[in-house]
Amino acid sequence: MSSREKILASVKAHKPVLIDLPTIPAFEGDGSIERFKTVLSGIGGHAIEVESKTDCQGAIDTHYSDLKSVASKLVKSSVEIDKNTSKEVLERVDLAVIEGVVGVAENGAIWVPEVNMINRALPFITQHLVLVLEKRQIVANMHEAYKKLDTVGSYGAFIAGPSKTADIEQSLVIGAHGARSMMVILYGG
Amino acid sequence: MNHPALAEKFARDFSRTTWHDETLWFVRQKRDKAIYPIPEFQELRLLASKIKDHTLSNLDNYLLQFEENARKNGVQVHWATDGEEHNQIVLDIIRNASSIKDKTGTIKMVKSKSMLTEECHLNPFLQKNGVEVVDTDLGERIVQFRNEPPSHIVMPAIHLKKEDVGETFHEHLGTPKGEKDPQALTEAARQHLRQKFIEADVALTGVNFAVAETGSFVVCTNEGNADLGVNLANVHIACMGMEKLIPKIEHLSVFIRLLARSATGQPVTTYTSHFTKPAEGKEMHIVIVDNGRTQQLGRSDFRNSLKCIRCGACMNTCPVYRRSGGHSYDFTVPGPIGAILSPNIDLHKYSSLPFASTLCGSCSDVCPVKIDIHVQLYKWRQVVSKENELPASKKWGMKGLAKMLAMPKVYDLGGKLARSALRVLPHGMTHAKGLNPWAIARELPDAPKQSFKEWYSKNKKS
Repeated sequence: MSSREKILASVKAHKPVLIDLPTIPAFEGDGSIERFKTVLSGIGGHAIEVESKTDCQGAIDTHYSDLKSVASKLVKSSVEIDKNTSKEVLERVDLAVIEGVVGVAENGAIWVPEVNMINRALPFITQHLVLVLEKRQIVANMHEAYKKLDTVGSYGAFIAGPSKTADIEQSLVIGAHGARSMMVILYGG
Repeated sequence: MNHPALAEKFARDFSRTTWHDETLWFVRQKRDKAIYPIPEFQELRLLASKIKDHTLSNLDNYLLQFEENARKNGVQVHWATDGEEHNQIVLDIIRNASSIKDKTGTIKMVKSKSMLTEECHLNPFLQKNGVEVVDTDLGERIVQFRNEPPSHIVMPAIHLKKEDVGETFHEHLGTPKGEKDPQALTEAARQHLRQKFIEADVALTGVNFAVAETGSFVVCTNEGNADLGVNLANVHIACMGMEKLIPKIEHLSVFIRLLARSATGQPVTTYTSHFTKPAEGKEMHIVIVDNGRTQQLGRSDFRNSLKCIRCGACMNTCPVYRRSGGHSYDFTVPGPIGAILSPNIDLHKYSSLPFASTLCGSCSDVCPVKIDIHVQLYKWRQVVSKENELPASKKWGMKGLAKMLAMPKVYDLGGKLARSALRVLPHGMTHAKGLNPWAIARELPDAPKQSFKEWYSKNKKS
């Protein structure tokens, strides 16, 4: 008998009688932009608001004029990235500007699907990260977020603020392995 | 192992013990602050518990469903009955990977946090077989440098002070002697580990949740080390205990809302990553591990422990863990949850762990999946006693006491003798360490003149 069969047989023999799966009720909550912004700043990120998606370039120019190597499909890019880009090139990216699809007011997280990442490693290896999100894509909580997503695709992540750690004496340090800073540009009405 | 003996060693450094105690209590308070704004938090705990109840009662079918969907996604699924088999599978995956098999130099692996691989002792096995293994979670890298096991499942280096970390980094990363600023130390680790991420041939991660419906799995980190490792290496191996399954994507919402709030008091971890299909041209493997879990599934009194989502809240709140440190449990998962998981693995070795508790129940109160931890601790004590694993002093003490309590006359006489003995005997004798271990860190109250029984018979109105 293979290990697979052994394990499955053992589970079958040891499991209790079937217990019903509960239904998750519709939990509602405050899905406001204000709440999203407050929570995000509480976890080390920050959000700015612009009128339309085309205003992103201006916002990047204002906030990140010192950063040379920018990778993006939304704003002017100074380094060409695709899914086959080498690690050595990826490693030198200063700023990635990527579009998110759903924001969660309750925890400041934004869903970034693989298709928007350009390269799977980009949102994590970049020194600084900007996520662009349409205001009306902000929902109250995780239940609504998953409902809105429809599919989790082949790869995707909820990203909430910059990379951080508190592994040394519980002192919070921003910029562990991933992005050292994280800004969200909210656009639309 | 003997928990009291190891705890005593930890508690000898009084100021460090106090610091450890206060630091973990601070995390517990952060947890409280994070859950109060969620009006349905208690309802979520109940839901999570029930979802796990259901999943465990149908686990074989969910495992099959998960396997089928993962395979459709292009993921290779492996099964391991125990730690040894798990380790061999991981090594075989690495050696047979098309991107690695012709490599002449050292094979390099980066790992994000996985308690399961700690449980299976994967690192020493791989290192023995010529694989370079680098733990990339900052806390885990620190303890790996020091050749120590993690002392907490969420904060692996919580037993260390920044001065200790400074020393370790000075030795291994060449940071200036005396550097103890967490910001500077973290920056040094970032530079060191970025190099490791770039060089790695294979990345290994744990699994927080596996979703049967889609064959996906979710990994939660704050540092971003899991995603960096996985997305830069050609091979991704994810190792999961079989109890990590949940039925559907919609159930993730319940667990994601609970996990980080319970663990560190954050609203969510920085990265909640959902892996479903490997990137083009890359390999993704999942190793499903039993290692005693089906046995625990068959123990109706202890089955609930398999609901654990490894948040560590029970440790942060436990008055015994906070003052005895994670290493005193000598088990991969320390604290209250470890004390109910470990006897299933080796009752003889871990027989002292169910006693590492005051049975105050705080662990059960904070558990996000409502495991009745303190009840299970109590029940394990009965098993330990029945299996004759109690230390002799406790065993004979209990037997003697039971006899005496069954004979009222002997009990009365014993009480009388004890009351007068306490009055006459010198302190050095009543508190002698060898004779009265109870009094090692406690003071006995003054002996009363009479027992309650005597007082009552004198004062009752006839």
